[in-house]
Amino acid sequence: MTFDYHEPTSLREAIELGARFGVDGRFLAGGTDLMVQIHRGRLNPRHVVSLQCVPGLDAIEVDGAISLGARVTHRRIETTTDFQGALRALVEGAEVVGGHQVRNVATVGGNIVNASPAADVVVVLLALEARLTSLGPAGERTIALDGFGTAPGVTVLRPNELLTRASFPRLAPRTATAFLKAGRRRAMEISIACVAARLTLDAALERCQDVRIALGAVAPTAMRARSAERYLEGRPLTDEVTREAGRIAATECRPIGDVRASARYRALLVATLVPRVLARCLERIRFHTS
Amino acid sequence: MTRIPLSLIINGQTHEVLAEPHRTLLDVLRTDLGLIGTKENCLEAECGVCTVLLEGAAVNACILLAAQCQGRAILTIEGLAAPGQLHPLQQAFIDHGAVQCGYCIPGMILAAKAYLDENPEPDENGVREALAGNLCRCTGYQRIIEATLSAARALRASPSSACRETAR
Ligand SMILES: Cc1cc2nc3c(=O)[nH]c(=O)nc-3n(C[C@H](O)[C@H](O)[C@H](O)COP(=O)(O)OP(=O)(O)OC[C@H]3O[C@@H](n4cnc5c(N)ncnc54)[C@H](O)[C@@H]3O)c2cc1C
Ligand code: FES
Ligand code: FES
Repeated sequence: MTFDYHEPTSLREAIELGARFGVDGRFLAGGTDLMVQIHRGRLNPRHVVSLQCVPGLDAIEVDGAISLGARVTHRRIETTTDFQGALRALVEGAEVVGGHQVRNVATVGGNIVNASPAADVVVVLLALEARLTSLGPAGERTIALDGFGTAPGVTVLRPNELLTRASFPRLAPRTATAFLKAGRRRAMEISIACVAARLTLDAALERCQDVRIALGAVAPTAMRARSAERYLEGRPLTDEVTREAGRIAATECRPIGDVRASARYRALLVATLVPRVLARCLERIRFHTS
Repeated sequence: MTRIPLSLIINGQTHEVLAEPHRTLLDVLRTDLGLIGTKENCLEAECGVCTVLLEGAAVNACILLAAQCQGRAILTIEGLAAPGQLHPLQQAFIDHGAVQCGYCIPGMILAAKAYLDENPEPDENGVREALAGNLCRCTGYQRIIEATLSAARALRASPSSACRETAR
């Protein structure tokens, strides 16, 4: 393991280096995935391009559409006041990533580009219908987060492209979000399964007007539970209905069995977590609109 | 491999070292600078024995490149208190019998310090959560939690006991 280290101080310089090194180069954000993979010998880049001195990648914008710069750390998300209300799922996703040491440096951009099926914040962003902005030698493009990851560790980002931010629309009225994760212990644990939801109620606060459900660690990439979403739309959110949504989500996920859990257990967790996440959203909407 | 000159600010002192760009802060601290209070174990950010404070925030030195730390204040366990003195956290760990083999303790204490700096009035759950990234194979954690809570009380009673705040 050996490489050259580069510390560009502008976006332009970062992209130039990315273009020059192509597949031989890697961008470095918090390093909590990259450095571990280098130490394990799974990755062997010739050039590591640190993003720490590149300006303009660490902004959180909340006027109009909400936008998270690629270098925003999980710790920043946890402590952002604007996310403590209806956007609480972001905090719930970020605060379970590793321990304090990891969250102090690990970034949203790294979580997305690393493309682990168990990436917690990615699951939340999927429920928020996030779009990504990337910058490369050919200029800027936006990419839907849904479909960005194509297999574990594989994305549609080109090797010389830089992810600059993830953004998603402002929430509609009577909307709340929630995220829940199941692991073998309460901290420092990769998800066995995790679920995020964004729920909007009708004016009477009874029926589901609009819902997005995202699942993590139960398919090769984070995925939307589209059949469960369709089933819920227009229905009153009784316990029976949310349980049925959980059962539907459990049939559309495609989990594998591994050291952490069997495929069957993962599907059972989805069936359990979906109604719980919806119940949390309901509680939050009622609390904030009462 | 060519070595690059690095200027590292550790415990308030600037150190000039020549190191290959792929070397971690942990490696440079221990091998080049003889600062072996920062421990080495998993090298995968899982266990926390390599915890140092980077501009006041707890980080794992095993996955941080030394090159990334240039010009940024680093605090290691050696700089926590003036020579011959103990920081209230160190004293509390001794008083509470929170140390057995000691291997996890430098990281544990620095993670606790970062947390108490931001949360001077912590509760037990907060402390447990703050130390989740630090594994201890000996003590069972309970005394470590008690020591940290007790150090928080001591620090509130006498904030000046909190050492030369060298690297903050
Ligand atoms: C102990 C431990 C526990 C963990 N627990 C969890 C957990 O519970 N949940 C979870 O989701 N993750 C977890 N992780 C994984 C990791 O911390 C997260 O995925 C984190 O968000 C990665 O961010 P980073 O900034 O460290 O990425 P890095 O390691 O710096 O980068 C990851 C990948 O993304 C690329 N990259 C980074 N930023 C950009 C960019 N802006 N543009 C283009 N490419 C980029 C890098 O080249 C690299 O390939 C854990 C890791 C550790 C070590
Ligand atoms: S050695 Fe760094 S976390 Fe274990
Ligand atoms: S005292 Fe031995 S590992 Fe903690």
